[in-house]
Amino acid sequence: MADTNYKINRLQTTNDIRPLVDNHWAELRTAKERGEKVAWASGPTFIIPYAMGLKCHFMAGYAAYCGGIGAADEILKVAEMTGDLPETCSYHRLHMGMAEAVRKGIPVNEQAILPIPDVMISGRFCTEMAHYAEGLYRRMKVPVVAVELPIAYEREDIPRLKKIVLAQYKDVLIPRLEKLTGNKFSYDKLSEIIKNLKEAALIRNQCWEFFKTKPSHWTLWDYGVSIAPVFYLMGKPGSTEYYRKLLKELQDREKNGIPAMAPDGEKYRIYWDGWVPWAFLGKFMRKLTPRGALAICGRYPWEFFPHPERLDPENPLESFVGAFYDEVNPEVFSNKAPKGSLEYIGKLVEDYSIDGMIMFSSKTCRMWNLSYLDIIDGLEKRHGIPGVVIEADMIDSAMISDSQIDTRLEALLETIDGRRR
Amino acid sequence: MEKVLRKIAEVTSDPYGYVADVRAKKEKKVVGCFPMHVPEELVHAAGLMPVVIWRGNELVTWGHSHVPPYDCGITRTFVDDAVRGKLSFMDGMVFHVRQCLQVGEFPLIMERNVKPAYQKILYLPPIFEGDFLKGYLIEDLESFKASLEAFSGNKISDDKLSSSIEVYNKNRVLLERVYQIRRERPEILRAREVMQIVWSSMLMPKEDHNELLEELIKEMEGATVEPQGDKIKVILVGCLCQTLQFDILDLIEDLGMIVPDDDLYVGSRYFANRVNLNGNPMEALADRYLAKSPLCPTKGVWDVDWGEEVIQKMERCGAKGIISIVVKFCPPHTCYYPDFKSKMDEKGVHEVMIQMEHEIISLEGIKTRLQSFVEIIGGV
Repeated sequence: MADTNYKINRLQTTNDIRPLVDNHWAELRTAKERGEKVAWASGPTFIIPYAMGLKCHFMAGYAAYCGGIGAADEILKVAEMTGDLPETCSYHRLHMGMAEAVRKGIPVNEQAILPIPDVMISGRFCTEMAHYAEGLYRRMKVPVVAVELPIAYEREDIPRLKKIVLAQYKDVLIPRLEKLTGNKFSYDKLSEIIKNLKEAALIRNQCWEFFKTKPSHWTLWDYGVSIAPVFYLMGKPGSTEYYRKLLKELQDREKNGIPAMAPDGEKYRIYWDGWVPWAFLGKFMRKLTPRGALAICGRYPWEFFPHPERLDPENPLESFVGAFYDEVNPEVFSNKAPKGSLEYIGKLVEDYSIDGMIMFSSKTCRMWNLSYLDIIDGLEKRHGIPGVVIEADMIDSAMISDSQIDTRLEALLETIDGRRR
Repeated sequence: MEKVLRKIAEVTSDPYGYVADVRAKKEKKVVGCFPMHVPEELVHAAGLMPVVIWRGNELVTWGHSHVPPYDCGITRTFVDDAVRGKLSFMDGMVFHVRQCLQVGEFPLIMERNVKPAYQKILYLPPIFEGDFLKGYLIEDLESFKASLEAFSGNKISDDKLSSSIEVYNKNRVLLERVYQIRRERPEILRAREVMQIVWSSMLMPKEDHNELLEELIKEMEGATVEPQGDKIKVILVGCLCQTLQFDILDLIEDLGMIVPDDDLYVGSRYFANRVNLNGNPMEALADRYLAKSPLCPTKGVWDVDWGEEVIQKMERCGAKGIISIVVKFCPPHTCYYPDFKSKMDEKGVHEVMIQMEHEIISLEGIKTRLQSFVEIIGGV
């Protein structure tokens, strides 16, 4: 353990996020009481129901929310009771557990309850994320609209993948949703959402600059909890205002010389790969901070519209799909494929002056952890920094081992120290 | 029958040696196709030798430096075999990365550590709505074809492809005939022999395998077997992508059960659905892939019920129960399994699930589950 008494200087602005997300999920929870139709969605498909005036959930966002409010474990237990196997994707289990809790009246945290949807949108970028939609159809006959969203393994594949995705949005997702719900899709509404998203993400990009400073002025966890306004809250009131306030606070910090980590800034600048551990942010913070280690950046939090300047409200659908299949900046969807990630992580390592890498490997989700060990090896050879894998889960506490986290973290920091000598 | 079965057992007992040997004798480049949906016919039509990649025969060692322990058996053993140089006879490799996430492990690991002369990634789509998905699928197959032509130096004409499809269709017909005889007289082959027969089809040049099957079928048709009416008929379901340990198959039979049919990948799923050669052969390959039945949980199909399909299969052969083989860390299957189980409960079908790992931790645990299962069925 380090001699210095490291502590986190907490940002004030991040306190504003909870009411925003609570309000989003409460609106969804009560939608049916107001006679509104509800959709559940995986992948970046929810923007279409938003542009139709439909209330829509987002799979990973909901799982993050449940993890954040401490509701995940009890819902995962319901899933286990109703037949799910423990090694199955915890996001899948969470959704099946919640649906079963509603269907069978099993009491769980009320804030986590969602209405059974009128339609499921299966955005299959993760092949496993499609299975929960299939499951809900089988169990509850909820109609499914499905869209294939392939991850590009080679840069030259991007144009044809983009073409097929755009065709599905236009010719399947929009007309099928209109038919199933009776709501009309509005290009004007979509354009407005894209305009707001672009504005918020452009300010967010300015905030990212404060990770590049040494010491950093905020933590990856601060940004982690701030993702919703540039993703599933897109286009909602408060998103841009939130990032404006955050930017102002970071600018003040820079002016007043306040680092994210007291007393004088971080000792180790850490790259964090994979999911943000939504249910365990505090746990990891308590392990990293006393050692002077600060998580700075990662592929996943950087996938939310890193090039907002390319979003075009005049051409909203094409530019939205183009944000995921971008030949000029291929990082978003190709960064999930191991080869693309090798390039992309290397860029983040350089841009953010990283000392070491933690690859957060979820035992139930391989979305981000494909070929991790080869990626570490490749990056270590190119950039001369070490990395470790921490095996855990985003929301399932049964998959977390304190001693493993401690051991791997110590090994990483000792290696960094050894190379500094 | 004995001679043919011995030959087949030789192939499957050392697939590495066998494939390397054929490669040398026939002077053909070998292309490993990761199961389950790579259309081998295209590889064959390019004058190459397709083999379906298999779960290895040793404990994972070096592979641990490349893939986590919570990947499925075939993923871990394939990587282990590859990085240890056991697959040096494999000139090329093909991976369909939209089948499940774990297939995505391979391209970078192979590129960095194995460097096969040929590597191809396929993006075959799930069976979702939209006619254009078929066009996209054909485009992907065309890209596969072009890459094979470049690698082999051989043009794949429609005629060549049609000839290859005919060879493969013949194999499917012959395997179906073996299964038909087995359904009528399940005592005629042991479950491990049936799995070996299908597995050898994945390893051998199809022409050679067809010859063996013709001989085998002739002998099966003429053979007399003692009916074992006291045996309890069960069918096996699942075990996607990989072979099941023969010990488990033997255990099932040793406990008084007999297997007249199956719904396994290294089983009836491999040869289900012929390619309908009435027109464009590429389109015909696409149509076979787009068949929703037998349901495959990797293809995104939600409106066909796997449980119903299997119950029909069970009833057709007069079986009294189902043994589900779920490969540990197989997400498509584990996500589907609770609904499959519910269907069995709803229909009052006896079913038991075995989780299969590459390294069997305890055969005793499996034995206990199967013993209880057979006692329950036997008592009905």
